[in-house]
Amino acid sequence: MADAAFLALSVITIGSAIAALELRSLVYGSIALMGTLGGIAGFFLLLDSPFVAMFQLAVYVGSIAVLILFTVMLVKRELIFKKIEDKRRKFVGIALMLVMMVALGAVILDSGIKQITTDEPAVDFREIGEDFLTYYWPALILMGLILSGAVTGALVLARRVDEENGQRVN
Amino acid sequence: MSVIAPNFKLSEFIKSILDNLFWILLIMALIGFPAIQLVLFFIEMPVINGELLTPFLALTWLIDPSRSLPIIKAFMTTDLFRVAAFPGFGFAALIAAGTIFVERKMLAKLQLRVGPFYCGKIEGILQLMGDGLKLISKEIIIPAKADKPLFWAAPVLFVATAAAFVALIPVAPGWVVADVDVGLLAVFAVIGFFPIITILSAWSANSKFPFIGGIRALYQMVSFEIPLILSLLGVVILTGTLNLSEIAASQSSFPWIIFLPIGAIVFFITMLAELERIPFDLPEAESEIVAGWLTEFSGMMYGLVQLGTYLKLYAFAGLFVVLFLGGWSGPMIWPPFPEEIITEGIELGPVTAQFPGLPVFSQEMLNGTVWFVLKTVGVIFFILLPRGVFPRIRVDMLLDLGWKKLIGLAFVNIFIALGLLYAGILGPGGIF
Repeated sequence: MADAAFLALSVITIGSAIAALELRSLVYGSIALMGTLGGIAGFFLLLDSPFVAMFQLAVYVGSIAVLILFTVMLVKRELIFKKIEDKRRKFVGIALMLVMMVALGAVILDSGIKQITTDEPAVDFREIGEDFLTYYWPALILMGLILSGAVTGALVLARRVDEENGQRVN
Repeated sequence: MSVIAPNFKLSEFIKSILDNLFWILLIMALIGFPAIQLVLFFIEMPVINGELLTPFLALTWLIDPSRSLPIIKAFMTTDLFRVAAFPGFGFAALIAAGTIFVERKMLAKLQLRVGPFYCGKIEGILQLMGDGLKLISKEIIIPAKADKPLFWAAPVLFVATAAAFVALIPVAPGWVVADVDVGLLAVFAVIGFFPIITILSAWSANSKFPFIGGIRALYQMVSFEIPLILSLLGVVILTGTLNLSEIAASQSSFPWIIFLPIGAIVFFITMLAELERIPFDLPEAESEIVAGWLTEFSGMMYGLVQLGTYLKLYAFAGLFVVLFLGGWSGPMIWPPFPEEIITEGIELGPVTAQFPGLPVFSQEMLNGTVWFVLKTVGVIFFILLPRGVFPRIRVDMLLDLGWKKLIGLAFVNIFIALGLLYAGILGPGGIF
């Protein structure tokens, strides 16, 4: 059962990833991207970590994919993308991807992932939270500072002075 | 009022009913029962009273009313019943239908109109059925340059997402379709799908008004999702769990709205915005952009979107009840099941009928359902009420409210919850 689910999820994830790259229609491409991100959430569910899966859905599908859709719909396609049809680029890209995959796969297989016993109960997300607040607290604070800095920067960049006409002022 | 059927004859009417009955019985006997039997051979049967149910026994017992109760009870423990009937789709659709009728009637009374009146003699009680039949029988028109697959898929996806949301709401102790450990996070994940479906359906219609409405819906939903999530964190901090059933069970002595009123208010306002209800119904502003992102839907596609909208309304109201109003908890008002019916059976003159398997539902479950429904209906009433009272607000006021005021208030709520937790008053290891 789990194997069938894994295979189906793999097909969905990889298939929609290829579709996201290859589809001419940008909207369908972003829908395919949503399929990829949702498939990854499915992998997390299979790995007994529903917490991460739900965050994957809420953040990636719920927010980032929406932002991409929004951008795609509001911006004229010709303005951001120039069509470059080049066979050689494609093949080089595929070759690069294969090299990357083989290298990463070799590293992961070499890292002792085969020795992990799979019968252990899944790690509770409460334990992860406790670890974050006790042992790893500097990392948490650093992340918080970086994120708040990024948000503040975005707010400063997006700020504009409203022209004072009567309609806008409450 | 005109007469609906001028050539009505009672004898013909009775004859047609008898005709139909005859054919139904004949077809049932020749095709229906064998088909049921065939299906029963292939599904897994439960063990009842220490006896494995076979298809033959099942059919025999179903005919005998005094022995069919155990089978019905066994069926009620299955997932199919939960998804389709009680805490799931059927129950929610029933409440949604009631909501639609009450909304129309109440809005009319608020504005000194009559509202639905003719359909069904008594205060237009059958108006909803009439509308449903009309929607089903109307032609579905698709705009010529629409993106057909997306346009067809959008209403179905909308209802499916709303049903997924409904599945997470616990109605009574143990009565929930999906009792997941990370229930509240699952709610956030499901809510995140609504803007996607909205904008895709709006884009696929390839028309101006839907697209403007869809963009507005996207703005509104995405910006109000943040205060929505933040306003619920206070409850999570105080209960220490994300499971909705546990959150509801933690409020047996007092509801969280007593200690977190700011969170409840923020959640209620964001709820109105997520549901696109007045005063936040900019995506459907009928006086500006026809019907917003619903403009091009016709026939049953519109009906599906409407069903999804009201399912979503029920689910949000249920979520409010579960998180802030104590869910199913309340004083025991349901009378206990009479003992003598279980021990002696029902006496009808000379006949005494024994019904093994009674009672069908436990007293706690019925009581919990009554309280949950009462509270949910109350919350739905407060969601409907602004429609008769408030005007629509401008989009810049809406975004201002969401980004500046509600997020700030949600953080105030989180600090109140943290203060209560660290003062040792509430939460794990607190006084209460």
